Amino acid sequence: MSELLKVDGLDVSFHTYGRRLHVLKDVTLAIPQGGRVALIGETGSGKSVTSKAILGTLPGNAKIESGRILFKGDDVLAMPRGKRDALKGTAFSIIMQDPLSSFNPVFRIGRHLDDVMRFADLRLGNRSSTAERRQRIFEVLRKVQLADPERVCAAYPSQLSGGMRQRVLIALSLLHQPQLLIADEPGTALDVTTQDEIMKLINRLVAENGLSLLMITHNLGVVRQMADEIYVMRHGEIVEHGPLSEIFSRPRQAYTRQLIDAIPPLYGANVTDQEPAAGDAIVEIDGVSKVFEDRPLFGRGHRHVAVNDVSLAIRRGEVFGLAGESGSGKTTVARMIMGLIRASDGKLRIDGKPVEEQRGSAAFRRKIQIVYQNPGTSLNPKRTVGQTLRVPLAFAGMRGKAVEDRIRELLLQVDLPDHYVSKYPHELSGGQKQRVAIARALAADPEIIVLDEPTSALDVSVQKNVIALLTRLREELGLTYLFISHDLSLMRNFCSRIAIMLRGEIVEAGEPRQVFETPEHPYTRALIAAVPVISDEEEKRKPAVSDEDRRRYLVDTAA
Amino acid sequence: MAATETDFTNALTPRYMAWYSFTRNPTAIIGALMVISVVVLAVFAPLIAPYPEHVGAAVNFRARHAAPDWTYWLGTDKVGRDILTRVIFGFRISLLLVVGVLAIAVPIGSALGLLAGYFSGWTEKIITGFTNVMLAIPPLVMALAIGNVLEPNLVNAMIAITLLWWTWHARLVYRVSKSIASEDFVEAARLAGASHWHILTREILPNCISVISVKTTLDAAFVILFGATLSFLGLGVKPPTPDLGSMVADGRQFLPEMWWGVLAPGFAIFYATLGFNLLGDGLRDMFDVEV
Repeated sequence: MSELLKVDGLDVSFHTYGRRLHVLKDVTLAIPQGGRVALIGETGSGKSVTSKAILGTLPGNAKIESGRILFKGDDVLAMPRGKRDALKGTAFSIIMQDPLSSFNPVFRIGRHLDDVMRFADLRLGNRSSTAERRQRIFEVLRKVQLADPERVCAAYPSQLSGGMRQRVLIALSLLHQPQLLIADEPGTALDVTTQDEIMKLINRLVAENGLSLLMITHNLGVVRQMADEIYVMRHGEIVEHGPLSEIFSRPRQAYTRQLIDAIPPLYGANVTDQEPAAGDAIVEIDGVSKVFEDRPLFGRGHRHVAVNDVSLAIRRGEVFGLAGESGSGKTTVARMIMGLIRASDGKLRIDGKPVEEQRGSAAFRRKIQIVYQNPGTSLNPKRTVGQTLRVPLAFAGMRGKAVEDRIRELLLQVDLPDHYVSKYPHELSGGQKQRVAIARALAADPEIIVLDEPTSALDVSVQKNVIALLTRLREELGLTYLFISHDLSLMRNFCSRIAIMLRGEIVEAGEPRQVFETPEHPYTRALIAAVPVISDEEEKRKPAVSDEDRRRYLVDTAA
Repeated sequence: MAATETDFTNALTPRYMAWYSFTRNPTAIIGALMVISVVVLAVFAPLIAPYPEHVGAAVNFRARHAAPDWTYWLGTDKVGRDILTRVIFGFRISLLLVVGVLAIAVPIGSALGLLAGYFSGWTEKIITGFTNVMLAIPPLVMALAIGNVLEPNLVNAMIAITLLWWTWHARLVYRVSKSIASEDFVEAARLAGASHWHILTREILPNCISVISVKTTLDAAFVILFGATLSFLGLGVKPPTPDLGSMVADGRQFLPEMWWGVLAPGFAIFYATLGFNLLGDGLRDMFDVEV
């Protein structure tokens, strides 16, 4: 197999605020004709910069210090501007990361596609008519399994679902039959089931059209399905590369091993079973519903049933997992338990007393606290760690030295050194910020902590550490967790009981072992089957999903 | 600490980034220098001005309407007073007006905006409604009315401007505080038991400071301009106190022959206004906020 693209000793640096950041160090990688190559690494490792350097879309403050990028033997970096631009879209094209912000909301989908095609035609010196382009666009849209191209073209971006937008983005990249497809975290912003469909689609397109694929991702489960060869990046360097099977089964570098070990297994010997808790019910929810209504001055209002007749009981000392895709109502349930929003119907009780009577009281604060999904927005950027942690203590009536001692104790509990009290959030990494957020929740000395996707904004290895911390804290302090997540493999190992939500209702609940081994509801099966896993063994043990069920629960992606 | 979590201690601090972009923004620096020069001239006016005695009701008929020369750099007015001296002292009045108006309007406007953005419901409706009503009053008409009802002097001009000026701050801070109030960290503070006072002053206000300071700087320019307009119309400071607006009005009678009588104070207004505007724009880029 000949090499389609070869990146040779690429060094890239960024110049910001008078400082030079060396972001790519001697990056060398090769993509064979028709091969599928994955570039994996954590946030800030330089994966996206590499793809931008290949595409020629580096920002103005980036400088290619040295190295070559050879496309079929020609150095694209040495090419004149015009010739290089002509490669965009035809030689290589990119599938964008974010399906929403990649579209201009005021233009229809058809206009986006037509613009790209028209300008590419102009660059290549082809003349084309609107009608002829339209035919070609429809053809490409059918290729990405959008059954009704006419309707899709007439729609505005906001009228399509996330999965459909991602498909249109793929169509955009395929308009001019590129030879190399660069996929920068495709589907990361989507739900697992949708992501799974997108992965399958890209795979098929690559196989059918003989494309080469450069896959950029942090998700090793995705890599297993979509690549034959892997490059592992860290701090701007390629630390390891090799065929998929070798990297996954016999990683040479400690870093790679650490990445692989950090992924919670879905099935197999390494799965952890959490002890079911025997305590009494601390949170009781009985037939709770939440309807969001808006009544405008004119016209008819909207009614949205976010949660419908949900009943569950969380026992003292357990980790109760609430799983579901976006919009399933899991966060709404948590916010009702927290007393942040009122239930439209039904009863919520904590420790036997209705939430309604307790909310806002000091006693209630010592019952239940929350850790948010995004530590970037849950910490005030203008306040130091110490100031943030002081709030719950001061309002619990603590004064003077007791406050300082307690802050030190809290930092110790979340494994942060003392001197972090004077640090601002921008000086901390994502994982450290989340530790501070956990410390703040602990400050009120609660019995229950609601964990609202606490690790979804973090890298896997950081996630592993945070989860280990949460496990240790639960054992030490006897906490009860309500863990909200869409990451089923994480929940399999971390939760002692789990409930699956779909469109505001709980469709299945039970102990993880039982739910994952013998899922009863077809949606649960579809959801588990879509989870990207890192070994063939796990893949085999996933539940089977019939085509009918797939259609029933995963309809919205294809239209 | 786990080895994989990157150490961010050497990351760029916001303060460093702001200072860096400010010092590499030539217009902002020019604006800052212009503002500093105006402030220095105003503060040290008695030491800098060549004829400090010409500030009051001095008369020097032998030199009336003298064209600019080496004795009177910017010429003299209709009673022979040095225009340069009076322009330098005029800055004092302009800055006094700026300080007086903004010292009252900015805190009041910001406080109302903060309250309206944080508390929803009736507080929000009443404050935004009242702000919108006040915004609908043409400022000049309001000032004329106050000037006619009360005595036209500096304090009343200040009151007239202040009465309308807070509305812009209320609107701006309302918008910012409303978006910050929906952030997770505000909810987290509330769940931690923090009082409304704590949330308003410690959680939300610090995040509004950059917007407020940019707006205040830009406002200074408008207040100078508006104050000059009022005294040009005879609603500002009473003669013989030197004021840029009334100096333009005085000199206007002798145009076009005695052009220096209008040009010097006119240029002074232009200079001060431009300085504050450039500085404000520079600060806006530096803090990266929308005003």
